[in-house]
Amino acid sequence: MEEKTKKDSYGTRQGKGPIFWREMVKGLVISNPVFILTLGLCPVLAVTNSIDNALGMGAGVIFVLLCSNIIISAVRKAIPPLVRIPVFIVIIATFVTILSLVFEAYLPPLHASLGIYLSLIVVNCIILGRAEVFASRNNVLFSIADAIGIGLGFTIALIMIALFREILGTGSLAVFGFQLFSIPVLSEHPMTFFISPPGAFLVIGLLMGLFRWIGVIKGE
Amino acid sequence: MLERLKSRRFYPIVFLTIIVLVSVSLLLYINTFTSGIVEARNRARIQEILESIFPDLTGFEEEEDLIIVYEGDSIAGYTILASGNGYSGAINMLIGINPDYTIKDIAILSQTETPGLGSRITEKEFTDQFAGLAPDDILLSKDGGSIDAITGATISSRAVADAVREEMSRVVEMLSE
Amino acid sequence: MNDLFTIFVVMALVNNIVLAKFLGLCPFFGVSKKLSNAVSMGMAVTLVMLIASIATSVIYNYLLVPFNVEFMQIVLYILVIASLVQIVELIIKRTNINLYNSLGIYLPLITTNCAVLGVTLINSAGDYTILQSIASALGGGIGFTLVLIIMSGIREKLDVAETPPAMKGLPIAFITAALLALAFMGFNGLM
Repeated sequence: MEEKTKKDSYGTRQGKGPIFWREMVKGLVISNPVFILTLGLCPVLAVTNSIDNALGMGAGVIFVLLCSNIIISAVRKAIPPLVRIPVFIVIIATFVTILSLVFEAYLPPLHASLGIYLSLIVVNCIILGRAEVFASRNNVLFSIADAIGIGLGFTIALIMIALFREILGTGSLAVFGFQLFSIPVLSEHPMTFFISPPGAFLVIGLLMGLFRWIGVIKGE
Repeated sequence: MLERLKSRRFYPIVFLTIIVLVSVSLLLYINTFTSGIVEARNRARIQEILESIFPDLTGFEEEEDLIIVYEGDSIAGYTILASGNGYSGAINMLIGINPDYTIKDIAILSQTETPGLGSRITEKEFTDQFAGLAPDDILLSKDGGSIDAITGATISSRAVADAVREEMSRVVEMLSE
Repeated sequence: MNDLFTIFVVMALVNNIVLAKFLGLCPFFGVSKKLSNAVSMGMAVTLVMLIASIATSVIYNYLLVPFNVEFMQIVLYILVIASLVQIVELIIKRTNINLYNSLGIYLPLITTNCAVLGVTLINSAGDYTILQSIASALGGGIGFTLVLIIMSGIREKLDVAETPPAMKGLPIAFITAALLALAFMGFNGLM
């Protein structure tokens, strides 16, 4: 079944089926928020010291991104341009607070270990960026796809980094209390450097270089 | 119609105000649910910790912020909450006090110190050092007392000692009246 | 850690808000190519951080805590900070147009800067009084400026050094930050 593909100014195809796939791939690789666009870095370094934190933060960001994209997209025609940034910020801040309240009630250990970085989702450039660039100019359906794509890209990047840091830094991998595996020699003498702040900078720097190197090779 | 409304001068402020009001209402609404759950959980935890400090407790009575613990008809001791500022946030603790106004035990309720360093204040090896101390003796060995700080976590250790000492002094003075 | 001097030193060095708490990374990696920009950015952030910390500390201690609505801090703090940045931007525009032009897009970006909001949240999490919040903000701002200055000096040299193509720009800057963070960890011994 052939579909005529029309593109809007952001190069996104109009149409139901293909749009989801395309938006998702876009968020995962081509415009991966962490490694390529380097947006929203503050929480990335802080929460990748364990897989639990990474998953929790990823889920949180997807939730906020999804909700704010939907609401902003739904009321986009009514938002006065003069105060659009404050409006976006209040909407995003509301969902971040809801997330924080829900985590505090139902997932206390995660809430405690994420700490202020949970609240700092509100200034995550990714969410404000998507609101400004995408949600305020596209309809709700595309905004949902965009949120899921970018959110997943962000979460996968977090997981990649956290995998390195937790395995090298503690010698084992545990997800929400359930230990997956433990490397014999490494778990007795783990390289705690990777759990510490400098380790975060190092792992991300190297991974960024890797992503760009792959991009360079692909371009030739 | 929307275009005409949007061109009025007051529209941006009104819109923003409405958004803020909706946001505040929504948050207040959700908070009424979640705060109930958080409080219930905190109460259950304090009950649990009370029982770990005074295993034979039969009941307790709350007098403002002091809790009087009973074993049968006699007073087994008292507990009071204390909190101090650690390396990266607040440290909340519960102090168990003997009838002779020395410390029975302390329990760290919550902390967000550095894992592996400051977070070790929760270990028995550290908290056991507080047992039997009178208010004036609650000092780190660095400050002239008998409590050994955790290596590499002086700020966290001192925060606990200072908070316990201040609260103990205050409570003992109040109880002695 | 209640006394003002300790709070100041910890925020500036031991727990440096950029290298240990990962706050304020966007301006850290973005602005820091010229030394003069680094100083201006650092001073602007310190100023906003200080005023914001005082304002939010007042709101926290006299409004949020008494009425048991601490959860409103995210929405309220970010609005306060956004307004403050607008005002500071207007003042800079009127008094020093060159500074305004050189800071460019980065000035309004202070609003979405984890550093300012992060410090105000740290103050609330620690239940700081207004004086303690001031010490914390000063420590945070000066620590931020210090690191920005060091980084700009290094990056000026990095730009002309030979780096592998994939590592050029941000990746090598991150590696540099890793080394800086490692050095700053030495400050743990201060306490």
